[in-house]
Amino acid sequence: MKKIKNISGITHFSLTELLGPALILIVFSCLIGFSSASLMLTVQLALCYFVMVLALQVFVGNSGVLSFGHGAFAMLGAFVSGLLTAPVRIKNNALSMTDLLQSIADIQVNLYLSLLIAAIVGGVVAGITGVFLMRLNGLAAGIATFALLGVAYNFFFNNTKFGPGSQALPGVPKFQNLFIPLLLALLALVLVYLLNVSSIGRTLRATREDNLAAPALGINIIRVRRIAFALSGALAGLAGAMYSHVAGTVQVQDYYLGFTFLTLSMLVIGGSGSIWGALVGTLLVISVGQVLLMMEQGKAIFGLSIDLPNGARAIFIAATLVVALLWRSSGVTNGKEFAFPNFKKKSN
Amino acid sequence: MESSFSATGISKSFGALKVLENVSITINSGEMVGLLGPNGAGKTTFINIVAGYEHQDSGSVSLDGNSLDGMAPHNRARIGLARTFQSGRLFSNLSVSENIALGALGLGISAKIANERTNSILEILNLEPLANLNAGSISHGNARLVGLARAVAANPKYLIMDEPAAGLNEHEVPHLLEALSKINKDLGCGMFLVEHNVGLVAKACSRVAVLNTGNLIFDGTPFDALNNDAVKTAYLGDTSLEETEESSKK
Repeated sequence: MKKIKNISGITHFSLTELLGPALILIVFSCLIGFSSASLMLTVQLALCYFVMVLALQVFVGNSGVLSFGHGAFAMLGAFVSGLLTAPVRIKNNALSMTDLLQSIADIQVNLYLSLLIAAIVGGVVAGITGVFLMRLNGLAAGIATFALLGVAYNFFFNNTKFGPGSQALPGVPKFQNLFIPLLLALLALVLVYLLNVSSIGRTLRATREDNLAAPALGINIIRVRRIAFALSGALAGLAGAMYSHVAGTVQVQDYYLGFTFLTLSMLVIGGSGSIWGALVGTLLVISVGQVLLMMEQGKAIFGLSIDLPNGARAIFIAATLVVALLWRSSGVTNGKEFAFPNFKKKSN
Repeated sequence: MESSFSATGISKSFGALKVLENVSITINSGEMVGLLGPNGAGKTTFINIVAGYEHQDSGSVSLDGNSLDGMAPHNRARIGLARTFQSGRLFSNLSVSENIALGALGLGISAKIANERTNSILEILNLEPLANLNAGSISHGNARLVGLARAVAANPKYLIMDEPAAGLNEHEVPHLLEALSKINKDLGCGMFLVEHNVGLVAKACSRVAVLNTGNLIFDGTPFDALNNDAVKTAYLGDTSLEETEESSKK
């Protein structure tokens, strides 16, 4: 029998596929992030979005099941991390939190522990809800996960015992530099890549391709989806927590429809089938969005001043999403992982 | 005790339409059994029932004496019952190698062993040149072989094949026959070949069962099947009537 390793066509761990996106992420973050304070904030936000898009890629990209519910896990992660790190003094005195449970008001942990707890809580809640949600397919899954987002939104919006309700949670410590969010994004990138090349990732993609053939190969569709949903819930929880430490506050509206639409758009535009697609989608939408935002604000770009009406950015992203769905449903990267261009092949 | 897979007294109706009526078939380990029948005879429904994709109204399916009734398809696959589909149902956006490897990965087998098996199967079935191609881009005949290879990667005790020769041309059928013989010889698994192609079944199988309008009308050797009046009538219609008509024309 021949040597087994690296059979062509088999999904293998590839350093290029992992290091390519990682290096691009590092270069993008450092080049843009260190150019100005406002761009540093933009890069920090981009890194949060990237972790969220990775969370969506793990589940939506690999299983093919649409989820509008990941905003709920991000919301949960943001509240957990925000409430655990906001100073006790602020939580006990802020006008928006007079009803807050005393046990929550009196607790304070460090940033890293709170991020870990946020990820765990996101994963556990996703694991529990996944028991029921993962039995659904197609439209039913989309509606049920949207309902989950609605439940989470209404819970936090109307409940002042577990947060500030419709108000903002003040005093959430902000990331002081670029390194922590960048490190977290790189960690998420490595974890998602390892998951994608593992048996779970590969069998999950089989269920996306054909959910009748997959059980004939012994694949328990509900089980693999549940595992992926829990893991992506943990990542969404982490993304939400990161977002709260970039914004320095937690407001339930920040994780609702706009957040859900934006992050799903990033995934679809980049290509839902790969982490490379998740990165390209995030960077494209953030970069173009930033330029359009500056135009909306009447700022000059490279000496050129173009005034765009408010809302132009959202319209552009929506239009790009429609174009992507119509003509390039597998996204800019065609769902492929990072690879160096093969110039030799082209010249032949 | 010798391993065997049996379906006993299987009946199934869809509304008022009786699709299967009291059908019983047993396959022993290492045996290759053919199931013949004209269109609408109930062959695919029978496969769907034994693989767990549909539930029978009555009767029982068992493996080595243990009942499989109520067991989900993925659990049946995990205890050694593999199946192929009439339409192939390959994972068209994944490579041929990846499709085959998933046959083993789906059972929870390690990636290393899955890759070993994939390599070996690609070689046995002469599919190596296709390994890196997208499964959606290969020919119909090759897709049938890849579907077979994927099921074989699970190293099953019993392999159920739903019309693997459907749509194959005269050059591809001998290739399939060769592949079936290799699988039977190398794996030693029981094989259940559901087919239209009488020639293929007669060459490949030691025993043949024939279904007609949901009833099992024959179970015996291929030679006896070809000489059985009930089988001839099921496949060719009422030949005595045709002969009478031809002689009256003369």
